[in-house]
Amino acid sequence: MSDLSVQDLSKDFASPAGPLSVLRGADLAMDRGEAVAITGPSGSGKSTLLYIAGTLDEPSSGSVSIDGVNPFEKDETELASFRNQHIGFVFQDHHLLPQCSVLENVLLPMLASGNVAKEEEARAAELLDRVGLADRVTHRPAQLSGGERQRVAVCRALINQPLLVLADEPTGNLDRETAESVGTLLLELGKEQNTMLICVTHSEELAGRFPRHGRLRDGKLEE
Amino acid sequence: MNSKTLILRSLTYYWRTHLAVLLGVIAGTAVIAGALIVGDSVRDSLRQMTLERLGRVDHTLSSHRFFRQAVADDAFADDETYSAAPALVMFGGLEYQKQPAEHEDATYPTVRVGKVNVYGVDDNFWSMMKADEGSKAPTAFNITLSQRVADQLRVSVGEEITLWIEIPSSIPRDTLLGGGDDQTSQEIILTVGEILREELGVARFALTPNQQLPLNVYVPLDTLQNELDLQEITASRRNPTARPARINAMMVAATRQSSLLTEAQRSADAVNESLANALTLEDFGLRVRKYPERDYFSLESERMILDNATADVGHRVAEELKMKQSPVLVYLANYFMHPDNPDAFSMYSIVAGVDFEDLDASPFGPFELKDGSLEKLDHDDIVINEWLAEDVQIGAGDSLKLAFHMVGDHGELPEEEGYFDVRAVLKLDGTAAADRGFTPEVQGITDVDDIGDWDQPFEMDLDRVTDRDDEYWEAYRATPKAFVSLSTAQSLWSSRYGKLTSLRIAPADGVALDEAAQQFEEKFLAQLVAKDSEVMKSMVLQFQPTKAQGLAAAAGTQDFSGLFFGFSFFLILSAAILIGLLFRLAIERRGRSVGLLSAVGLAPTQVRRLMDTEGVIVVLIGGVVGVGAAIAYASLMVYGLKTWWIGAIGTRFLFVSITPQSLTIGFCIAVIIAWIVIRLSLRLLRDLPTRGLLAGNTEKPLSEDDQRERGRRATKTATICTVTSLVLVAGVLMGIIPATEAFGGFSWHVVAFFLVGIAMLTASLRFLSAWLDSDHSGAVSGSGLLGIGRLGLRNASRNRQRSVLSVGLIASATFVIVAVAAGRRNPAVETPQLVSGNGGFIHVAESSTPLLYDLNTDEGRNKLDWITDDEPEEAELAKKMEVIPFAMKPGENASCLNIYQTRLPTILGVTDEMIQRGSFKFADTRVERPWALLTQNHEDEDGAPVIPVLGDMNTLMYSLKKGIGKTISIPNDENPDYKLKVMGMFDGSVFQGMLMMSEANFRKLYPEQVGYQYFLIGDRRFRRDGTASHHFTPSETQKIAEVLETRLGSYGFDVEPIGDRLADFLAVQNTYLQTFQTLGGLGLLLGTIGLATVMLRNVLERRSELALMRAIGFGTSKLAVMVMWENAFLLVWGLVAGTISALLAMGPHLLTTGADVPWLSGGLILLLVFLVGMVAALAAVAEAVRTPIVSTLRAQ
Repeated sequence: MSDLSVQDLSKDFASPAGPLSVLRGADLAMDRGEAVAITGPSGSGKSTLLYIAGTLDEPSSGSVSIDGVNPFEKDETELASFRNQHIGFVFQDHHLLPQCSVLENVLLPMLASGNVAKEEEARAAELLDRVGLADRVTHRPAQLSGGERQRVAVCRALINQPLLVLADEPTGNLDRETAESVGTLLLELGKEQNTMLICVTHSEELAGRFPRHGRLRDGKLEE
Repeated sequence: MNSKTLILRSLTYYWRTHLAVLLGVIAGTAVIAGALIVGDSVRDSLRQMTLERLGRVDHTLSSHRFFRQAVADDAFADDETYSAAPALVMFGGLEYQKQPAEHEDATYPTVRVGKVNVYGVDDNFWSMMKADEGSKAPTAFNITLSQRVADQLRVSVGEEITLWIEIPSSIPRDTLLGGGDDQTSQEIILTVGEILREELGVARFALTPNQQLPLNVYVPLDTLQNELDLQEITASRRNPTARPARINAMMVAATRQSSLLTEAQRSADAVNESLANALTLEDFGLRVRKYPERDYFSLESERMILDNATADVGHRVAEELKMKQSPVLVYLANYFMHPDNPDAFSMYSIVAGVDFEDLDASPFGPFELKDGSLEKLDHDDIVINEWLAEDVQIGAGDSLKLAFHMVGDHGELPEEEGYFDVRAVLKLDGTAAADRGFTPEVQGITDVDDIGDWDQPFEMDLDRVTDRDDEYWEAYRATPKAFVSLSTAQSLWSSRYGKLTSLRIAPADGVALDEAAQQFEEKFLAQLVAKDSEVMKSMVLQFQPTKAQGLAAAAGTQDFSGLFFGFSFFLILSAAILIGLLFRLAIERRGRSVGLLSAVGLAPTQVRRLMDTEGVIVVLIGGVVGVGAAIAYASLMVYGLKTWWIGAIGTRFLFVSITPQSLTIGFCIAVIIAWIVIRLSLRLLRDLPTRGLLAGNTEKPLSEDDQRERGRRATKTATICTVTSLVLVAGVLMGIIPATEAFGGFSWHVVAFFLVGIAMLTASLRFLSAWLDSDHSGAVSGSGLLGIGRLGLRNASRNRQRSVLSVGLIASATFVIVAVAAGRRNPAVETPQLVSGNGGFIHVAESSTPLLYDLNTDEGRNKLDWITDDEPEEAELAKKMEVIPFAMKPGENASCLNIYQTRLPTILGVTDEMIQRGSFKFADTRVERPWALLTQNHEDEDGAPVIPVLGDMNTLMYSLKKGIGKTISIPNDENPDYKLKVMGMFDGSVFQGMLMMSEANFRKLYPEQVGYQYFLIGDRRFRRDGTASHHFTPSETQKIAEVLETRLGSYGFDVEPIGDRLADFLAVQNTYLQTFQTLGGLGLLLGTIGLATVMLRNVLERRSELALMRAIGFGTSKLAVMVMWENAFLLVWGLVAGTISALLAMGPHLLTTGADVPWLSGGLILLLVFLVGMVAALAAVAEAVRTPIVSTLRAQ
């Protein structure tokens, strides 16, 4: 069985005109070290697929298995813990906490399991060094550029060495050059950490750099 | 990095948002802890006032009878623990007429002040009051006035004033020999020697606790004694009878102070024991008179009549000493006459009631018969002596006419006649029938040589006194000429004062008269002064631990903590809503961050705990700062009570008292409330999906069906709340909901008021919620300002909960302001009406000296020296006037004017005439003739009599804490002398602070209270059916007051328009309402701040929309109109909802007479709130359009 297995995934939303089906039997299977870019028109269900895979949303039908576990069988607290241990997120809007420093933002997922140990701080610093922000660890998000913020978000997604990293339009708000560097970073780090990477993007350029490229069409994922 | 770091970072980063919440918590803590401090301050101030008012005085004794001044020395001179000050404590009236200057041609009106506390004191009292440091005890003919008296008289030091004071009478004035129509008041001209500043405790000295400034005057004790014939008289040739100086009050100071009531009671017991050891029979007005010629002694009273309790003790002691006794009741016959021969008569003779069995043998008998028999004497039988038989020319078997005076209710002396069957004629000389000991000694009567020299208080027809009558007097003095059975005499002539004039007692066999008399006297006195002695109680010859009682009473009738808590309820509610609203805004603003925490794997509970901890820290800091603000707030409130709201408690002697307990309790309550509000706000996170939060959505997404369902539920709740409110209001109006106490001093009407208010406010908010959920709220159509306005309304529905909370803030504060305004009453608008607080009367009056005579008759007025022959206008007014008198037993002021805890309120005795007349508005007294309830006597479970009383609802519910059907033990629950049962309650009446019982019961309970001291004055032409009425004109009303005060000045008659008296009571209520309104205003301020914050937030969130609208051609003014429409909509909804809720909740009150709603000022306040709210919205718009369009659009 694959490390990530999405089978026959459907998702409906209520609307005045009746239920609106966004995903209709989407399938996806991945193993560690793999990276998939998913593209598709607006409203095609890219982000919905991503959020369901990231356990932030539930499917109307179908199944999701991550590392052999169906996360939707867990209760709220277990699911949060599962997400913390196995999944990392990178959003289009970097979602850094403005009140925390760069280092603290990276360490944020560690808070779920209590206090942060020295080794974890060292690992965060190492990651930041890896993305070229070693001299910015004490800075606040407001003092960073857009690309720098997104690199911090990437570090935050990887701090717990997750099995799965989900990136939702990670370069959507960035200029071309910065977008390219962030894309490269995501792919490199994903590879280095032997993690599965799913990236939802409108950018064909970014998608083209991924080993696997899926398109969502009529609610189904086509590779 | 740990959660603490994150919390700290959040606290500092979001300090502006937290500051707003912090300010809300500070406001809440300040209000809650402040209310507790106000309560402490009032309580401690009352304690302090008690200590200042009483100086070193711990125990006081104030009797209605007079006893030897030497008792003070005898009891305490050698006592190191206690010192005593003798005093006279009386009521009096003052008059002052300013004298014109030498060349001034003016006459100043006479100023009168009635019901003044007159204290006859010496240096002992002055030093006990610690007053000798700043002033001196009055001497000679100087009088010292308290500042309040001086202010009312408008007199200054050195000027002369007149003091009218009741002359003490040893014989009750409403008995035959009591001096009813003699001069009853003494006029004393005194010079004002000093005016006591209010700050001096002695200026506020009072035996009963009351924070209001008393009307006190101090006169030298010896001067007052001389003027009232209470001075010491040493025996002289001219006046062989020596007499000691007398007083009626004593103050005792203990060297060891004790504030605990139980300890103080023990101390009072010790003082009472010392007193008991010092008292003699003379102090009880009793004497044992020996008759050695017949070898017996007689127990007599200087009051002429032995009260029942004293007679019972005498009877018991004589029995214990195995002494034979013969009780006697003598009465004065105006004449005896042959029934058919008016020329055969005998004038002014004594008739005695005796038990003939006692007279069989020596020393009381035997009677020697000249004719007839003493066997089986009947009720109508009489036995006469041979002198009388000769005068009236009759013998045994004949009928005899006897005429005597009865004493009427109003002091009138109608002559009654009776016919008796003569059963025997007694020999006189040398027999028991010639015994002078039947009649007790009465000064001015039995000790004068000639009938013509009698000092009797009634008119005598001396022309009919014959030589034979004079000869009898010369030979036999007051020896009875006739005898009836004791039961016959008692049925005709006993009074509430007693049923015996003497108890004749013979020594036991073998005991000499002197020794027997001494044995009796010692044992009798010991029983008189015993603890719990009825005689001591009835004479009030007992010390009370006045200071300890005052300190206990300082706990206060009204819990000011609770009161201010109640006042601040809506302010606290506003602060809580504001905290909730601001915290909610803070959470909404941080929705994305919350979503992120959830996304990275923090469990929902962890996320909430982080936010919760943040909130708690803010709340705790707010609580700590709030405690400081509470002190400032309480200081402001106490300052307000001393100045702006002085009508509420009537004293300036308040200070701020801060206790750690109150601060801690206030802190805890405020923190807990704020924390609960924060927890409730955090609940909104529970149902929000992480994905939504990440996208910035903080409202739970609902399908249209769900939204419609929510709207339906809101409409349903609103309808239920509205119907409930209407039912409650109808229940109050129809009398189904009683005005009795529900709990904690709150009546069911008050509970209904709060329920209606809360239900209506809820209904209005639920209706708003439903409307915002409906399609109507979203319909944008039309053009121009109307179209823009509709867009504004649509915006209001975008953040439904925000809008509803903002409206809730405004509505609850408006509710307070309108409800308070609607609660105001103005007695001035209340014309005399039967079913009202004035009962159809125009004046209420009180007199310092009781009046015996009927002011409704020429005869009564004449006896009071009110002769109207030369004053036709006065005569006319007097004829139109109706005066209803009430007997009065002065007690503590239990009205809302007194904030001390009261135990023994003033009691009024209601005449049958008033019971028949009825009138006044009753609360929850659902019988056709409530006054008649006073005539229904009851018994408790032990069969003891329970006396029915009526009282004002305010007095019963708030001062005495007793509702209808409850019993009040007098003097206290632990050791009741008797019980009163509340049968009915007046509603907002002039009888506040008093209890009413029938005159018959009153006279039984308080036989020593003579005449009438409380009066209601109305218009005789007033129609009792209330359909039409005839009232005095305002000038006639004023004239009546002037005439009564002038004519009855010597009685200290003080008349006050009934509207003014009611206004004084209502001033308290209205002042409380004003306090409430001020606090409601603060609530409205918080509401406006809340709404302004919400509007600013709404506008800032929509900055891009507004920029877009500007970009597509909307001018700034149009955008302003759009935002203002939204703001105006919410403001008006809140103001209207609050106003309607308040008016409905106050509906029952508004339909009563005297409701005086300040519509204009209330409307202006609401308009002002509206304008301030609109200006705040304008400021928000200005902020939103300040940023250039392009940068705003780019920023988004």
